Amino acid sequence: MIGEYVTFQLDKCTGCAHCVKACPTRAIRIRGHKAVHHPDLCIGCGECLRVCPEGVIQSNVESRFPLDKDKTNAAIISPALYSQFPDTMPCDVLRAVKKMGFDHVVDLSFHLEMFQFAVERFIAQNRETRQAPFPLISPICPVVIRLIALKHPTLLDNILPIRRPAVMIADDVRKKLQSIHNITGSEIEIFHITPCPSKALSQEMVLKDEIGSVDRTIGINAVYPEICKHVENIREKELDIYDTDPFANIPNARGPMWSKSGGEINPLRDEGLLAVSGLREVRNCLEKIEMGVFDEMNYIELRVCPQGCLGGPLTAVDRHMAKQTVQKLVRTFGVNRRLPPYKLQRLYDRGWFFANIRPSDFTDYYPDQRRALTIDQMQEIENLVSLLPGVDCGVCGAPDCRTFAEDVVRGRAKRSDCFRLREIDNNKEGNT
Amino acid sequence: MAALKKSFQLKSRDFIHAGEASISVQNMLKQIGIESALIRRVAICAYEGEMNAVMHGENGSFRIEVNTDKIILDISDEGPGIEDIAKAMEKGFSTASEEYREMGFGAGMGLPNMETHSDRLDIESEKGQGTRVVMRFSLSPGSRENKTGQSA
Ligand SMILES: Nc1ncnc2c1ncn2[C@@H]1O[C@H](COP(=O)(O)OP(=O)(O)OP(=O)(O)O)[C@@H](O)[C@H]1O
Ligand code: SF4
Ligand code: SF4
Ligand SMILES: [Mg+2]
Repeated sequence: MIGEYVTFQLDKCTGCAHCVKACPTRAIRIRGHKAVHHPDLCIGCGECLRVCPEGVIQSNVESRFPLDKDKTNAAIISPALYSQFPDTMPCDVLRAVKKMGFDHVVDLSFHLEMFQFAVERFIAQNRETRQAPFPLISPICPVVIRLIALKHPTLLDNILPIRRPAVMIADDVRKKLQSIHNITGSEIEIFHITPCPSKALSQEMVLKDEIGSVDRTIGINAVYPEICKHVENIREKELDIYDTDPFANIPNARGPMWSKSGGEINPLRDEGLLAVSGLREVRNCLEKIEMGVFDEMNYIELRVCPQGCLGGPLTAVDRHMAKQTVQKLVRTFGVNRRLPPYKLQRLYDRGWFFANIRPSDFTDYYPDQRRALTIDQMQEIENLVSLLPGVDCGVCGAPDCRTFAEDVVRGRAKRSDCFRLREIDNNKEGNT
Repeated sequence: MAALKKSFQLKSRDFIHAGEASISVQNMLKQIGIESALIRRVAICAYEGEMNAVMHGENGSFRIEVNTDKIILDISDEGPGIEDIAKAMEKGFSTASEEYREMGFGAGMGLPNMETHSDRLDIESEKGQGTRVVMRFSLSPGSRENKTGQSA
């Protein structure tokens, strides 16, 4: 179901309301001293689990993963994984993951290059005609897409209609493995090792194309200790993976760079590119795009996590350290283009890069939130807000006074939950 | 008749908070189910108007009124006023200082944008007396995606 990105283990919940205040979409309230989560407003950003002091909130990305030995298991590696190991070559990280028991390890760097090619082509084709709405918004961060669907539906059409690299590759991997091992699709299990709680629902990802492409997701933090153990033991160069694994490309620094804010647009040859990371900054940027401030820009990379995906909630090492590691890798390996443009152009012309479903089909992704208030109800909210203390004390269980007023008008909270309104209402009763 | 009114005070040259009135208007219109394309137009006008009052004017005030058939943005200030309104309306005309241009303003596109995106734009101004910019947007029956079945 939509929005089941996090689970609350309420027995440990103390009702401290840290999560209520942290949630960007106001999807959490306190009722009876316990957190109440509204999945229909949740975008899976993971802010709540970052701030919960009691460890009540868990990402629904898996943390344990007994591999099913009867299946062929492939792991797609999020580029952010390479940033977690300061003194390890990316190819050794791949080897270590393989040692965990995966039959195949899948590096994304070629598909990142393909994606970036498609971005350049799309901008070049549409810039003059302005047939696509500009500025284009990167489709990479699923939380951004959901934030747009929920709060900025006017911008759904600005989302670049190109498939994400992990999706492109998941389809490829399944097809290739079927023919190599002569097995059916259901005998293959594709994992995605990710820093991102918003990928918890492999069945419910952003674009419908993605349904079924990844079978299971695992947080980087869950596999980190085991990878560390194996990385230690990769002393002598075990070149084996490149003989047996069609997807274990030799990574350059394009992947690591991608996981850092700005790394998606940095290799592009275009002008008018912008990269923004961190939830607050991203929200700010979306508001400005809506007001036309960035109309002259071509393409905007948005990542809700601070510093980009390497700051994702399911990473294992400090994001500033991870950033250092990325910078080192970029210096050492560079981000050269390795794919012949004419081949990519052919794929592009065939429409291979494009998502079948337009993001605007998600207009009703969050139906409850989009249920409109009447003008009278809106005025009622304004009137209530003027009565409220305005200090956002949170005792009512809502994150702030305005949200509480909205809850009252929408029938989700009682006036008496607020001490000030209780006072006012009691006085009124006393006077009559 | 149902009418929704809200007003904001604007602080001159406070670029940290400039834009907040427009954002809050935008959010309000989303909540009452105004159609996306119209919200976009109002948002652009609100923002340009708010920025002009903050940048060129003094003691600005920003009011919005939503009726069943129209939206009115009424932005006024007590600043220097506009000497030649026709000139100010020209694309590219700007008196913005070097400092503002460095901040990304001063393309002289604000007023032309407001004219394009509103259904009607009225400017009253006199040198030394301040400026009042009123923009109207008509709400055709289709422009409120009025979802029935309120979640009350
Ligand atoms: N509220 C105001 N008070 C005084 N002068 C104004 C006001 N609004 C606009 N003007 C004058 O009109 C000119 C044109 O305004 P317009 O908004 O089109 O461009 P701009 O503000 O200079 O630049 P831009 O909006 O593109 O950043 C301004 O440079 C200024 O001289
Ligand atoms: S994951 Fe994000 S949107 Fe969902 S409840 Fe937590 S903070 Fe709110
Ligand atoms: S920034 Fe990256 S890790 Fe964070 S939510 Fe977006 S895609 Fe996931
Ligand atoms: Mg202006």
